[in-house]
Amino acid sequence: MTIKIWKFFQREQLFECYQCARCTGSCPAMEVAPALGPRETILICLNQGHDRVVEDEKLWLCCTCNVCEDRCPQEIPICDLLVALRNSAARRGNIPIRLGMAIELLAKTGRSMIVHQLDEMRAHHGLAPLPPAPVDEVRDILKKTGLDEVIEI
Amino acid sequence: MPRFHDHTTDLPEEVFQLKNIDESSVSPGPSNDLRIGVYVCHCGKNIGGTVRCEEVAEYASTLPGVVLSSDSLYTCSEPGQEQIKSDIREHGLNRVVVASCTPRLHEPTFRAACESAGLNPYLLEMANIREHCSWVHLHDKDAATEKAKDLVEMAVGRATRLTPQFELTVPVNRQAVVIGGGVAGIQAALDMADAGYKVYLIEKSGSIGGRMAQIDKTFPTMDCSICILAPKMSEVGRHPNITLLTLSEIREVSGHIGNFKLKVLKKARYVTNECTACGDCIEACPQLAPDEFNAGLSIRRAVYLPFAQAVPSTFMIDMDLCLNSAGIVACDRCFQACAHKCINFADKDQWLEIEAGTVVVATGVDVYDPTALTELGYGRFPNVITTLEFERLINAGGPSSGELIRPSDRRRPQKVAFLQCIGSRSKRSSPYCSNVCCMNTIKDALLIKEHWPDTEIYVFYIDIRAFGKGFEDLFRRARGEGVTFIRGIPGEIIEDIATDNLTLLGENTLLGRHYRYTMDMVVLSVGIRPRKDSEMIQRLFNLSTDTDGFYMEAHPKLRPVDTTTGGVFLAGAAEGAKDIKDSVTQASAAASRANILMSRGEVKVPAITSRIDPEKCTACGLCARVCPYHAIQGGKELGYYQVVEAACQGCGACVPECRFGAIDQTHFTEEQITVQIDHALTRDPNHKIVAFACNWCSYAGADFAGVSRIQYPHNVRIIRTMCSARVDPAWIERAFLKGAGAVLVSGCHPADCHYNNANQNTARRVEKFWKRMEKLGINKDRLRLAWVSAAEGAQFARVIEEMERGLHKLTPESIQEDAEKLAKRSTGKSESS
Ligand SMILES: Cc1cc2nc3c(=O)[nH]c(=O)nc-3n(C[C@H](O)[C@H](O)[C@H](O)COP(=O)(O)OP(=O)(O)OC[C@H]3O[C@@H](n4cnc5c(N)ncnc54)[C@H](O)[C@@H]3O)c2cc1C
Ligand code: SF4
Ligand code: SF4
Ligand code: SF4
Ligand code: SF4
Repeated sequence: MTIKIWKFFQREQLFECYQCARCTGSCPAMEVAPALGPRETILICLNQGHDRVVEDEKLWLCCTCNVCEDRCPQEIPICDLLVALRNSAARRGNIPIRLGMAIELLAKTGRSMIVHQLDEMRAHHGLAPLPPAPVDEVRDILKKTGLDEVIEI
Repeated sequence: MPRFHDHTTDLPEEVFQLKNIDESSVSPGPSNDLRIGVYVCHCGKNIGGTVRCEEVAEYASTLPGVVLSSDSLYTCSEPGQEQIKSDIREHGLNRVVVASCTPRLHEPTFRAACESAGLNPYLLEMANIREHCSWVHLHDKDAATEKAKDLVEMAVGRATRLTPQFELTVPVNRQAVVIGGGVAGIQAALDMADAGYKVYLIEKSGSIGGRMAQIDKTFPTMDCSICILAPKMSEVGRHPNITLLTLSEIREVSGHIGNFKLKVLKKARYVTNECTACGDCIEACPQLAPDEFNAGLSIRRAVYLPFAQAVPSTFMIDMDLCLNSAGIVACDRCFQACAHKCINFADKDQWLEIEAGTVVVATGVDVYDPTALTELGYGRFPNVITTLEFERLINAGGPSSGELIRPSDRRRPQKVAFLQCIGSRSKRSSPYCSNVCCMNTIKDALLIKEHWPDTEIYVFYIDIRAFGKGFEDLFRRARGEGVTFIRGIPGEIIEDIATDNLTLLGENTLLGRHYRYTMDMVVLSVGIRPRKDSEMIQRLFNLSTDTDGFYMEAHPKLRPVDTTTGGVFLAGAAEGAKDIKDSVTQASAAASRANILMSRGEVKVPAITSRIDPEKCTACGLCARVCPYHAIQGGKELGYYQVVEAACQGCGACVPECRFGAIDQTHFTEEQITVQIDHALTRDPNHKIVAFACNWCSYAGADFAGVSRIQYPHNVRIIRTMCSARVDPAWIERAFLKGAGAVLVSGCHPADCHYNNANQNTARRVEKFWKRMEKLGINKDRLRLAWVSAAEGAQFARVIEEMERGLHKLTPESIQEDAEKLAKRSTGKSESS
């Protein structure tokens, strides 16, 4: 198997990591959820191979806020790594079910959440109903990002 | 090992002397009188593992003038040198070529061997087949072997044109200057003064002592720092051989090894040395400022003594702060308070001129300012302090009289955290390890435990580096005292506004768990950095700096306290982060190196200078204008110009400047280099890069690429000059005419030139050549100018790689066409800019 992910992220950058954990220490996702910390992600990639990370659903808990990258003394583009890993996971179908559902909804309705209840609330407050979502346009955009190669939309 | 002999020719009586031949008529081969011996060194496996040395030696034996050629395991060893000596005697060798490591390492060794066998040392030539060949082409034995042959051929070619040179002996002034009065400068000054030499110790601040005076206790022995330093400081103050100049800075330097002339600016102190340090003036002064010695944790007046044990123990006035700063006496309270009338508002800055034979640079270091790491809150949260502030805080002579208190509420902290590697091992600040902060933290932790054992101490670290004698023991003691070590640096510190307590968020990497610790005080273990003003001394003495910004030693292992500037030595942390013991050791080493020069009283200077042929000189004076040392004198009245040999530093910048070919440089003659160029291009010239590299930076940079085993394309042939300003545009042209694919001219970065910015001429001449190429429609990329420092091995490799890629765009036809274009325009000694 060709290791495609290292085309999107220079693997050599990982060798710079000191495992100092400033990244994980500053990660807000880690504060609220059992996410895979960036330090641990890097260590697994280095010691056990990135497959182990790609299979792990905890990878998806990162909110790509970039704080880890900001604090990293070695200027490792950690978020780029996490995005590359998620792309890899997605291509292998390792997408959390909830996330898959959200994407499906977006592709079908042009919106990422169900809004008919919202319309009732809007009416109650005397607001006009939401205009229809540009479903085709949204779908086009999703296709352009290559999402259709990963999930059926 | 096989030896290739030629028994035919008779031994010549004298060393063969070459005429100065015009560049355009370089004779095709050497005369019969030449008897060259070639020695190809295996350097164990270092060369022999990649280059087929026997094959190279065999090839060398076929070169004209070579009468003997052999390979050996270690040419620099005693038997290796003996072999050369006996061959000189027995076979009447009159030139020796050693193909081995860089001449920057063993040229002196082999020169001495030649000399002891009666051969003029300047008749030795070296081919660098290790740093410039085997180490950088580890995986291509064929290419490395071919390259080694070329390099040997170039060296043999050059050897045929070498002539004996005689070194000038200059006297060494038996006075020394030490710059910087930290513990290193103090030690160096005392060692030289005790040996009987006069020493000027020049200190920028108001007192000697440096960082060590600020530290409370010292690891690993936990002695009181000032208690062991103060006696040494007073010894400096009263030593009959030491003149201490404080508030002083060197502003100008001229001269060279043995005879430096320094101009020193000694700033006004405004207090005479009758001051008894009674301190009566302090109370009188209304002006306040943060006390630098106490890291800003306390307040001093405008009239002050830097610290209690200061040497000299004379008060001083900070004129920027004093109410009389405008030059009018608006306040004289200190004057009134002083019973001895030591205050002198009329004191003036003074310029002093000092002559010295040797110089020791011991200017020390700065500490990292962690304000930029906003997540740690230094500067915003009062209870986040640095280790330097902590040293003052815990010191009996410090702002809290040694009581451990935290700044926000002056209460004793119960929980103290230390954060390691702050400002070290980071691309955002300094990439290197500062070497002292791990042990310093462990020492600080133990100090707290000693006085306030109930304090909880947490050390957040990445690695604990306890490598020195007694260090591991201290580390073990700290663990034994219950200091908690947590692997993982906090990513964030949050301050509780109500309590001023600090919450640390992070991950314990060994447990793989998130932590949240609330602390009363956080100490940032800040790293050591090169001084902000270190560039000044660097420029004045033409020193190099390493990639981290510290002054660079002449050789990392064998000449660790020398610099590349003769007579200038390094001591202490200015050369790299180090602790007190290492600083003192190095200072004694530097002093001893300087003492060798001074006790001899004379030193030989290399016989590499320029000479002007008065017959050819038309007295145009162009050369005199480019000489950075004003070493060329004469004029229209005299009818010619001439080089003052003692003043000439041998950069060679003047040579290409002469349109009439009247100047040449000894040991780097036009002819010698032209022959090297020709031999570099005898085979397959279109695929070759001819690289001119200056001795101090770029050649050393290429050496460093070798030492670091950075691999780069093998088709480069390096030719050494002392300064890139020696590179004659005629050489560039010659290389192109001979079909070279590309030419590189490389030298020190503009401000780092070892010859007083002579390399501005390099840039000017290369630019002029580019213009000419442009006019003729020749691809300018074929000539490259690159500044490569001695530390930039990787940069050298990158440049060669890029140039090699450029070669792929060329065809033999296009190269031929370009050569024709150049040839059409060139006449005689073509391009003198
Ligand atoms: C917080 C901290 C704690 C430490 N604790 C320990 C310890 O416990 N044990 C230990 O072994 N080491 C310790 N060290 C390291 C120790 O401080 C250094 O090894 C030592 O100070 C180096 O001495 P130095 O003379 O080279 O430089 P410095 O002490 O920095 O002295 C340099 C001197 O040169 C002067 N100077 C600078 N530039 C010029 C100029 N251009 N002209 C004239 N004068 C100039 C400066 O004013 C200064 O007086 C510690 C370092 C720090 C930062
Ligand atoms: S902050 Fe950077 S160096 Fe430290 S563990 Fe994270 S990725 Fe590695
Ligand atoms: S003259 Fe200057 S130093 Fe003296 S007391 Fe006044 S302000 Fe202070
Ligand atoms: S000595 Fe210790 S704290 Fe200092 S930079 Fe090196 S590893 Fe980090
Ligand atoms: S330019 Fe350089 S080589 Fe020429 S005389 Fe001056 S110092 Fe000597």
